[in-house]
Formats: sequence, C-alpha cells, structure tokens
Amino acid sequence: MKMFKGALILISVLLAVATVPGQNVAPLPAGIDISGSYFPPRHQDVGLGTAAGMLVDYGGIPINEAARIYALTWPANRMTVREQQCMGYVPPYMYIAPGNYRLWQDRDPFTQRLRAIKSYASVAEGERTIWLDDRPHPPANAEHTFPGFATGKFEGDILTVQTTHMKRGWIRANGVPQSDQAELVEWFIRHGDRLTHFSVVTDPVYLAEPMSKSFVLQRSVKDPIGWLYACDDADQILTRNDENVPQFLYGQNPYVREYADKYKIPLIGALGGPETMYPEFAAKMKAATDAEAMAKILPASDTPKAAVVRDPTPNDGEIHTLQVRDNIYLLTGDGANIAVQIGPQGALLVDTGTGKLADKVVEAVKKLTDLPIQFVMNTSFYPDHTGGNLKVHLAGADLTLYGGNFGGGAMPRAATIIAHQNVQTRMDGTPTEGWPADTYLSGRRRKFFNQEGIDMFYMPNAITDGDSIVHFRKADVIVTGDIFTTTRYPFFDVKSGGSLKGELQALNYILGKTLYEHDEDGGTLIIPGHGYITNEFEVSEYRNMLVIVRDRVQGMINKGATLEQVKAARVTADYDDRYGANTGPWTTDMFIEAVYTSLKQAKN
Amino acid sequence: MKRLILVITVIAIMAIFVGSAYAHHSFAATYFEDKVAKVEGKVVQFLFRNPHSFLIIEGKDESGTVQSWTIEWGGAGQLTGQGVSANALKAGDIVVVTGDLSRNQEDHRLRMKTIVRPSDGFKWGGQPNQVVE
Repeated sequence: MKMFKGALILISVLLAVATVPGQNVAPLPAGIDISGSYFPPRHQDVGLGTAAGMLVDYGGIPINEAARIYALTWPANRMTVREQQCMGYVPPYMYIAPGNYRLWQDRDPFTQRLRAIKSYASVAEGERTIWLDDRPHPPANAEHTFPGFATGKFEGDILTVQTTHMKRGWIRANGVPQSDQAELVEWFIRHGDRLTHFSVVTDPVYLAEPMSKSFVLQRSVKDPIGWLYACDDADQILTRNDENVPQFLYGQNPYVREYADKYKIPLIGALGGPETMYPEFAAKMKAATDAEAMAKILPASDTPKAAVVRDPTPNDGEIHTLQVRDNIYLLTGDGANIAVQIGPQGALLVDTGTGKLADKVVEAVKKLTDLPIQFVMNTSFYPDHTGGNLKVHLAGADLTLYGGNFGGGAMPRAATIIAHQNVQTRMDGTPTEGWPADTYLSGRRRKFFNQEGIDMFYMPNAITDGDSIVHFRKADVIVTGDIFTTTRYPFFDVKSGGSLKGELQALNYILGKTLYEHDEDGGTLIIPGHGYITNEFEVSEYRNMLVIVRDRVQGMINKGATLEQVKAARVTADYDDRYGANTGPWTTDMFIEAVYTSLKQAKN
Repeated sequence: MKRLILVITVIAIMAIFVGSAYAHHSFAATYFEDKVAKVEGKVVQFLFRNPHSFLIIEGKDESGTVQSWTIEWGGAGQLTGQGVSANALKAGDIVVVTGDLSRNQEDHRLRMKTIVRPSDGFKWGGQPNQVVE
C-alpha cells in the first residue's frame, strides 16, 4: 500500500512538472504569493533614488572606463532633450524610485494555473510581465523595452527572474548608464509584509564586474492612490535646436570634485570601478594620489576598443521571420533587414538583402501570404539592401502593370522596384532587371497599398545621395535603412554623397515623425537597417551620440588638432564597447575620420 | 518637548518627499541647491501638467539682457493640492520668481521656490504658511 501511495505521488509530481510550452500548461509553481501593493520604506538609498543622486558619486559601482566617461560627460540638463524627458526606468533601478508598486498573478482562466507574475511601478508606469510558463526569451532582434523581457521560476519560496531585452537606462540617474545589452537576475523573497529584492546586473558594455543590489518593499495595508504617471515632453529650453545635445567635453566637468569634497573622501573613491566594491579598497583609497584619480577621468589608452556586442542578425543560412506589428514583418539572415507588409493586395518589401538567400526570402514571404510580391522599396543602393532585387523582382507580380491601363497583357509578370533615382544611378554595373524602375526625384514618393498609406521620404546626403526611409502609416512603423542601425557607428559614405550634416538631419527627420506610447516605450516602431526593432528612444540616443562625438571633434579642431590627434584622444571611448570596430567595413577610425573630414570641409 | 519632536519629524518627512517629488531626473544634479536667482518677467506659457509643470517667462538676466527663463514647478497634482490651478497664470502676466539656479546657466532655467504676481497679490511658496515676500 505504501509503495502504491509512493508511486501515486511520484506520478502526480511528474505530471505536475510536465511542460508543454505555448499551451499554458506550465508546472504548478510552488512558490509563495507575493501579490499586493507595496511602497519603499525609504530607509535605504534615500539619496540615490530616481529623483536623487549627486553628480560624480560612483563609489561602489563596478563601472568600467566607458561608463565613467559617459557619466563624467553627462550633464543633468541632457534630460531636457525631448526624447529624454520622459524616459522610463529599467530594472533593477526602477525599484529604487519613490511611489507605489503592485505585484499580481496572471492565471489561465480555464486551468487557473499561474502563467505569469506582473509587476507595476507607478513612477514611469513601468509594467513587467514575469512569464512562468517556460517560454523562451525572444530572438536578439526583437524589440527592447525599459522593463525588458522576463521569465521566472520558483525555487522554494524564492522567485528567481531572468531579464533581457532592456533599453539603455540607469544604474544611477546621475549619469551612470546601464546598456541595452545588460542582463539581469533577480530574486524576490517575502518575509511577512516585507519583500526583499536582490538583483545582479551583468552588463558587458558598462560594467567591469556584475553588480549586485538589494532593497526592501513594504506591503501597503490600503490600496494606495496615485498609480498613474503621465509624462508628455515639452519645449523645456526654447533656445535649443535638435542638433544641440548638452555634454561636458573631456576633462571639463566642473563638478568632478563636488561630491568628494562635500563628504571629504578622496576623489578616487567617488569615481567608482570594481575595486571600490571591496573592503581592501579603503586602505588603497587613503594611499592614492590625486594624480591617480585624475588619470581616471580620461581614456587610459589611445587604442580604440572593439564592441563587445554581437550583431543580432542570425547568420545561419536561414531567413528568420519576426512579426513587428500587425501586418508588418521583419525578415533577417541575409545582410540588411528586410521589412514585409502584407495585406489583401499582396506583399510589399522594403529592401531585399544581399541576394545570397533570395530564394529563401521569397519562400518566407510565401509563408506569410499566397498573394504576389507586388512592390519593393529600396532604402539605398548598397548591395546588402539591393542584392536580392533581381530574384524578388522576378518572383513577384505588379498587377497594376500586368493587364492594367489599356492592355499590357504581354508584359512580363514581375514586381516593381521603387527607389530614389540616385539608387538606380549608383546600381550601374548590376543586372538592369534588378534596378528600381519606378524612381522619384523630389522629397516624397507615396503609395496606398494593402489599405495602408505608405510614405517614402528622401533623405538627401545622409548615408549616400539616394537614401529613403519608409513609413507605414497605419501600423506606424518606420524602416530607416542604414541611416539608423543598432550595430555600428553612424555610417555616412562621403564618396557616395553622404555627409555628417545629412545624416544628422535624417535622424532628426525620423524623430520628427515618431511618438511614444508612454515613458519612451511603444508608439512608433523602428526597423533599422541592421539590428533589432526599436522605437524613438534608441534613435534619439543614436542621434545624441553623433552630436556628442561631433562636438568633441569640433572642439579639438578649434584648437588645431590633427586627425591623428583626434583619433588618439579616443573621442568615442564611452561608446566603443557598444559600437566600436577595429576591423570590417566601418571601423571606429573610419567613423572618426569621416566626422573630422566633414567638419573640416564645412569650415573651409 | 513631545510636540517639538513631532513637529521636527513632520518637517523631516516633508523635506524628504518635497525633495524627491517623483521626478524623472535628479534635482541635486540639475540645480544648484545653494544658489537662488530672482527674475521678474512676463509669462509666455504656463504648462500645468504631470510629472512637472513649467512656467516660461521673459525676463532680464544679470547683464540686463532679456532671456526666456524656464521654471520647473511641481506636478499638476501637487500644485492643485497647494491651491494653484491650471488657469492661475496666463500669458502676459507680470510675475516675480525665485528659484534654484540651473547648473547649466546658459539654459536660463530655475527650479521654482516662490512666485508672486504683484497685480493681484497671487503668491505661492511651496510650503504651508510660508511667507512669500
């Protein structure tokens, strides 16, 4: 009888842990209930929350050189830039805000099994879903958000959470950044009415070592009022234009010593770094000279670093399809990103990749719709955007030509390729059938297709002299081409008509078309030329970076610096771990040279 | 004595919450906490909203040059609780403002401490029973 009971228990346990991902039949989590409303008791880190933090107070944070330089060149009035005013908070920093928090369970209505735990922070309206149904994290080219994508499981009474796909946010809102490549592990532990949260952030871009942090939330007896956190941006500084991004040039932060002097600690202790986390640093700090501290405020080496970030494009010989929004899809795996719009009339593609996997691109579109590819729009002439033109053209059918307008029945069935005229001109030497035959010269080419307005806007002299962006108005998705990528420094091909000025104007043009849903998440989605799906926040960060680097280079030119001196100054030291390259078609040196040359030419 | 301790405690708690103000940014990093500027000027815009309200006025700087000053104020919810409504100020009003000076002085930006409209005596000082000169 005992054996029978034991077998029954074993079978029950095995059934309970059996998981069929995607069918909401996750194991029954055995953890405790952490639902409820909470508030921070404010007995910890009161001066370090979202509305606080003194400048140059980085002690105990394992930042690397890139983060320190980012923070030292960051003035708080950068938050007056339109797209920064309402930026959300990433975890774990989101839990150090004042305000109210709520945790609740999301259960399958039919089985009552726990699917997810949801978390809401009133400040910046940060809502997280912690999936408990064993679903995988999204692919690397999926959208990033401030709360990120989280999965969790109960380990005993502790909820363990893994988070990826966050945006660039704050380790501390005094300028210490957490990058979009950061990953987070958290543990939620309940002790009566108190919830202990312990987290470890790993950030290959801005942290030299993982950073651990704990805090406590106190359960509210009553439902708190004040759950909303509306935030719309405004014209905060009337005299500032879109090409002005506040920064301190290298070594010119006037507040470097303010915190250290106020609390009478050696400057080296305030500048942070992994060593400042450990007890033995106390003795080292006392012995450190001021020169040692000051050496930390500039790049230590004149050799540029390569990015530690992996291109999210899968290069496995396959085409991968990801839904962006509604009827818009992203195809990746063959060079530049390909956007696909489908609907009752057929398919429209923006760009066609390198062409190596063009047959698989056509097959991937066929899986989305039985109707033909009618149109292709090219954002530039570059082979990684137009290489598949010929095969896609031949595989498609523009039904407005075939059999339309007084005949044309003998016309071969093929898709029509649309682009700025300069794309066609620069494709000279490639098979003519792959050229755009439907070109435009003025600022806009518009088309109504699949019950949606589609705008193609000319971006003169950005990457080249023939770039376009494509705006799907109903889905509110913008395809930027290489004007914006998440994988490399802004690329402008001066020999093909590109320019620093044009690239900046194009980025600002895109930002003039976008909006966010709340706190810089959601709203208009962006498909970059390369990299992951984003929204305006990442575009503005990219624009800001270009302006910041431009101003640093300009500052050195004004003092008579040569190109070699500018390169040696590492004017991109705070961004190299994210975007830098020492090999390949667009190295950090090439980027700096393009900026330098553009500015020198403009001066002359 | 007990009453004194209570008063001090209440003031300390108020200081914590007034100081934090549920902002997206650090006030300590944005403004000097020991440099107060006084500006008299004409209201250009009063933006009554959360999480912060903004008042833009045209007034002279120290050199006598007319500048656009942006004054960051409490959120609409906070101000309503302190008796300031969305239509408390209108374009053209002449006001005298004091505020913490921005660390970036070229921005001509203040964090509101007090405001007075001499034409009708409208005053705000942030704290209950605060006397605004």
